[in-house]
Amino acid sequence: MTTLLIALRNLIQGGRRTVLLAFALVLVTFLLIMLDGISAGLEATMIRSATTLSSGHVNIGGFYKVTAGQASPVVTEIPKLRALVAEKVEGVDFVIDRARGWARVVSETHSIWGALSGIDIDEERGLKDVVELLEGDFDALRADGTVMLFTGQAKRINAKLGDTLTLSAPTMGGVNNTVDVRVVAIARDVGFLSAINIFMPKNTVRQLYQMRDDASGAVHIYLKDESRAAEVSEALRPELAALDFRLMDVDPRPFWMKFETAAGEDWTGQKLDLTTWREEVSFLLWILTGFATLRWLLMTVIFVVIVVGIMNTLYISIRERTREIGTLRAIGMTRWGVRRLFLAEAILLGIGAGGIGALLGVATSLLVNAARIHIPMEAMQAIMMTDVVHLEVRGPDVALSILIITVVTAIAALLPANLAARLRPAGAIHHIG
Amino acid sequence: MSNPNAIVHIQDAHKVYPLGHTEVVALRGINLTIERGEFAAIAGPSGSGKTTLLNLIGCVDVATRGEVIVCGQATQTLSDTVLTRLRLLKLGFIFQSFNLVSVLDVFQNVEFPLLLQGKLSKAERKVLVESIIEKVGLTGQRGQRPAQLSGGQRQRVAVARALVTRPELVLADEPTANLDSETGERIIDLMRDLNHAEGTTFIFSTHDPKIMERADRLVHIADGRIVESTR
Repeated sequence: MTTLLIALRNLIQGGRRTVLLAFALVLVTFLLIMLDGISAGLEATMIRSATTLSSGHVNIGGFYKVTAGQASPVVTEIPKLRALVAEKVEGVDFVIDRARGWARVVSETHSIWGALSGIDIDEERGLKDVVELLEGDFDALRADGTVMLFTGQAKRINAKLGDTLTLSAPTMGGVNNTVDVRVVAIARDVGFLSAINIFMPKNTVRQLYQMRDDASGAVHIYLKDESRAAEVSEALRPELAALDFRLMDVDPRPFWMKFETAAGEDWTGQKLDLTTWREEVSFLLWILTGFATLRWLLMTVIFVVIVVGIMNTLYISIRERTREIGTLRAIGMTRWGVRRLFLAEAILLGIGAGGIGALLGVATSLLVNAARIHIPMEAMQAIMMTDVVHLEVRGPDVALSILIITVVTAIAALLPANLAARLRPAGAIHHIG
Repeated sequence: MSNPNAIVHIQDAHKVYPLGHTEVVALRGINLTIERGEFAAIAGPSGSGKTTLLNLIGCVDVATRGEVIVCGQATQTLSDTVLTRLRLLKLGFIFQSFNLVSVLDVFQNVEFPLLLQGKLSKAERKVLVESIIEKVGLTGQRGQRPAQLSGGQRQRVAVARALVTRPELVLADEPTANLDSETGERIIDLMRDLNHAEGTTFIFSTHDPKIMERADRLVHIADGRIVESTR
């Protein structure tokens, strides 16, 4: 207790030197919280958007091959699969299935390729939260032969609400088929996933590909705790095998990257493919990895500067307090006691300044979120899958930031503290500072 | 050590400090025995080796050659940890520049060695510290920090800190050098009273003739050698 008291009072007595050092630590913690907030916000937005637009937390997808060389993203016996999920998977929030396809979308003047998502709008609990409609109505998607476009898509093919478009794609039998659809909704873009995904009723996709009623593209399972996705996926594998479903080998890539692999394999009929949301959006994770790398590079440079600053300050402090250290050693304080004294100063400084920096960081993050600051660049909006800045502040991250600052400060104090502990008491007592 | 009453026994002690490529010989063959309860002064001019001798007796340094036995322990064979423990449990220190912990108040400075010892409860420490503060006449200043005290008061705090653990031996390196003569004499009176009352052995260095007169034993040192020892 007295060690802490001495440490605290020495910090206070340090005056301007302590204030400057504390200010630097406050700034670094603030920066750490903000970067964490941006990173976590980016991750949360991407996961939420990606899991809503193109994946569940766990997906039972797969391919159906009429001939060995042609693979369609079709899963049959959907009711049986959904019943299995309902019976065997715990912690499920909700389950949907979507038909999948890849088709040319033709307007009167232009055409684009798009990834078709055949949905039952009444089942889609997440879609309505993530997708903001600018024109039209979600309910209109109940009717067959309708489609929802995103703004960018509508612009590219010059389509408006009420226009009729033609979808064109080869069926599983290898014959080209077309279906006409009416634009009933236009939604705000949600990053670059909204550039390729086109939503329409499930039956419309079935009609285009001439699929059976029990066939769809994939069963998407949404869990109450998304972190259990890999565990649930692993657990489902033997359950599916037990029901005589054939399974593709584990391949942590999104389903659309597996067309060639599936088509190149020598089998026909149905094979299922189990994936998690992380695997389905793995092509997006480089953004998170890149940002995390950049963040740690920046933080490493800042930490080096901070460590040098703390060491320098403590060396000066030790020189000024050499006689005090000698006296404490003479009256019976051990070397470890002296080390503890300087480490306590560093730790107190780390906790105090880290705490203030964290508070400022959290307050600023909340203010930024409340202000709904618009992201001005479209490219940034596409990458971040949102048009407003969102900082995700998580309690454990804040605590970790304070801990990191405190540990770094303590590590920086180790060498000076060791130097202080190794001072010869005889010389130190008579030191003239 | 032949004398069972000896608290310090020094036999042919040498202390040599390296200084660049040369060496400085601070002590040259010191032989000295101090008995328990003595009030001994080590006198000599500046640079004569008084402080070095006190450092050896105080276990903050060890002899380059020879034997130094303090409270029955040969210091040159002991590790830093054991020497630290010996200082904590058996010795008390009073310094010329007081050397108080500037961020602690009078009570906390005096209490500090007891905290390092860790033997007593908070209540026991309080009783002991308050009684010693009263003995040195600083009850009214117990909550003040060193910077708020006069030189004489600071040295009284140092005396109280040195005595609070009831050490067998108190070492004082020129305890009156930074005080005016009247205050210096009062500090020596205080040390003398405590020597009589508690039986604590005091060894102090000085070059003030008035202070030397107060000692039971006077050891004169010059050029690192004891030139005279009188009782």
